[in-house]
Amino acid sequence: MGILEVRNLTKRFKAFEAVKEVSFTIEKGESYGLLGPNGAGKTTTIQMISGLFPPTSGTIEVGGIDMVGKPKRAQGLLGIVPQEIALYQSMSARENLIFWGKMYGLNGNHLQKRVNEVLGIIGLEDCAREKVETFSGGMKRRVNIGAAILHNPDLLIMDEPTVGIDPQSRTHILETVKRLNSEGMTIIYTSHYMEEVEYLCEKIGIMDHGQFITSGTITELRETIGDRSRIVMKFTQKPELERVIENPALAIRKEDLLLKDSELTIFHKDPQVVLSELIQSVTAAGAEITSVEIVEPNLESVFLHLTGRSLRD
Amino acid sequence: MGFWWLALKDALIIGRDRKALLTLVFMPILLIGILGAAFGNMLGDEEPESIKKFSVAVVNLDEGEFGGVLQKDVLMEGLPELVSAQSMTEKEMEEQLKQQKMSVGIIIPSDFTNHIISGDEAEVKIVSIPSASIQSMIVENIVSQFTQSAAVNVIGRQMALPANTGADSDVPAVAVQEESFKMMKEEAVSQDQQPVSSFQYYAAGMGVMFLMMTVITGVSAMIEEKEQDVYNRLLVSQLTNYEYLFGKFIGLLFMSSVQFMIIILGTSALYGVHWGESFAGVTLLGIAFVFSVSGLGVLLGSLVKTEKTFNAVGMLVTQIMAAVGGSMVPLYAFPDWLNELVKILPNALALQTFLELMSGGRLSNVLAESGALFAIGFGSLAIAAMVLSRRRRALHA
Repeated sequence: MGILEVRNLTKRFKAFEAVKEVSFTIEKGESYGLLGPNGAGKTTTIQMISGLFPPTSGTIEVGGIDMVGKPKRAQGLLGIVPQEIALYQSMSARENLIFWGKMYGLNGNHLQKRVNEVLGIIGLEDCAREKVETFSGGMKRRVNIGAAILHNPDLLIMDEPTVGIDPQSRTHILETVKRLNSEGMTIIYTSHYMEEVEYLCEKIGIMDHGQFITSGTITELRETIGDRSRIVMKFTQKPELERVIENPALAIRKEDLLLKDSELTIFHKDPQVVLSELIQSVTAAGAEITSVEIVEPNLESVFLHLTGRSLRD
Repeated sequence: MGFWWLALKDALIIGRDRKALLTLVFMPILLIGILGAAFGNMLGDEEPESIKKFSVAVVNLDEGEFGGVLQKDVLMEGLPELVSAQSMTEKEMEEQLKQQKMSVGIIIPSDFTNHIISGDEAEVKIVSIPSASIQSMIVENIVSQFTQSAAVNVIGRQMALPANTGADSDVPAVAVQEESFKMMKEEAVSQDQQPVSSFQYYAAGMGVMFLMMTVITGVSAMIEEKEQDVYNRLLVSQLTNYEYLFGKFIGLLFMSSVQFMIIILGTSALYGVHWGESFAGVTLLGIAFVFSVSGLGVLLGSLVKTEKTFNAVGMLVTQIMAAVGGSMVPLYAFPDWLNELVKILPNALALQTFLELMSGGRLSNVLAESGALFAIGFGSLAIAAMVLSRRRRALHA
């Protein structure tokens, strides 16, 4: 049995179905990435797993404990890093950590020891006594993470923890998460930054419109696009797609082409080989090309291939 | 024990908010001093003046009667031991202030009476020399008290008059105002009771009002917290909904108790306010009152979802409660039946009972009232718990 078992999870808000029949299992010690564009249903799924509100149907078990039936017991196994900064701004980093530790039932010397350890993990020992309101966005995000790991949770759920921060803090956070995972903490990491998820997670689930559209290891997901690169062309005037496809030298299928606004994406195994022919063909089809880019196979390609949309749309 | 840390956290946050502290602790002490001194003669006090007499330049541009009443009856003749008022033109006033011959200047606008009669906010321009901020506040308060009592009288007069006797509604407002001042001069004490001084009255009145405001500030912070992610984080921690509710209640109770203590000690030390012979009675009543308003506050906090809604409604309700409860206009200005009726409001009940203690009441005199206040607090807490429980059930439905 996994540390987290989600079965047929559905959430309806009146007529709107935010999450539809989602099922997945996370094993102990795994780092699981939940990818999807804004509005895909990631946060709603995370909030249900956290016990913030119950599902319309389906079950959630954390460490074998039913989240709906025994929420406080199940929540005791979780550490939640919310998308927004959930801290008291007029309190110092240390005071915040002590308060959140108390909220998870820590006390006395054990609490003090954990606060010191966590300050070390998030790299804020030197400014522990300063008020959070004086911190940079990145520092606040680190305290936000610190408050979630004080009680050594079995499962740490991080909902887009690097939104809007400087590269240095982002790197620090990613390294911290990597370290926590290597020490045995199970991680669920949601993001629409595929490079973060690729860096941190062994297994990935991709959501769109409230559903899981695919899941697996990074290798497995890359295989779904057959290891094909993406050729991304931008132009001022759209080409006639039929004329591009008609070119026998390109050997491109219609389903490998995605035309959106002034951008054409072509999935191809050998982009270097077809590139010059492709440019000629697209130009002949009436387009005025402004840029061409070849992108190696990655999760963005997988998502684009499966949904026809970019992760950051 | 999570509720205890939640309460401590709230107290810590309020304690660090200098603006809130100033409003909650120093403002009541200051206002009690100002009102006590300003209205001392109206309640028939024989107290030594604590604020020196100062001069006020009055420019009356009002075309109606109320401007004249404010100028002559209130500022020029009503407060002879505190204010020396002189009528003059705007230009003369500017000159007098420039030369610092006058401390404060007041310009009564031409539509002052019309505004009061129509129930609109009647604005009066007050200017002062830099060193006369306290005097300026006193004048501001006098004007505020005047416009409020004038408005109350106008409304009362309009309600008392039959709708079809249009001619009667033209009864001069001056008469109404004079009647009001007469009432304020009366002492609502029986023969075996000790009279309540203006300092005592406003210590209790302002104390009660500011305790309500502390709760409103606390509730506002509670609602603000509910709108932030920090609330969701609390909900997914080991803190239960009931612990959350109780923690907020304890926090409010703690803050308002401290404030109540400061008001009692501060007014006793600074203005010599005597809160009564029964220390136990004052303590019991004080605790009962903060218990009731804290309970009501938590109920309000659990019912209202957005701070915007609360700020719009909460402050208005508090002001109305304070006005009808006697914190702004002395209870002696209201008819007895109204004073009995407003006892359903915890602030009015508390104020009237504090006055009873100040008039020589004993512990036994406040037991029933304290019981009623505790009941309001417990009832509010129970309803808040039910609201929370119902919301939770609805969420799980």
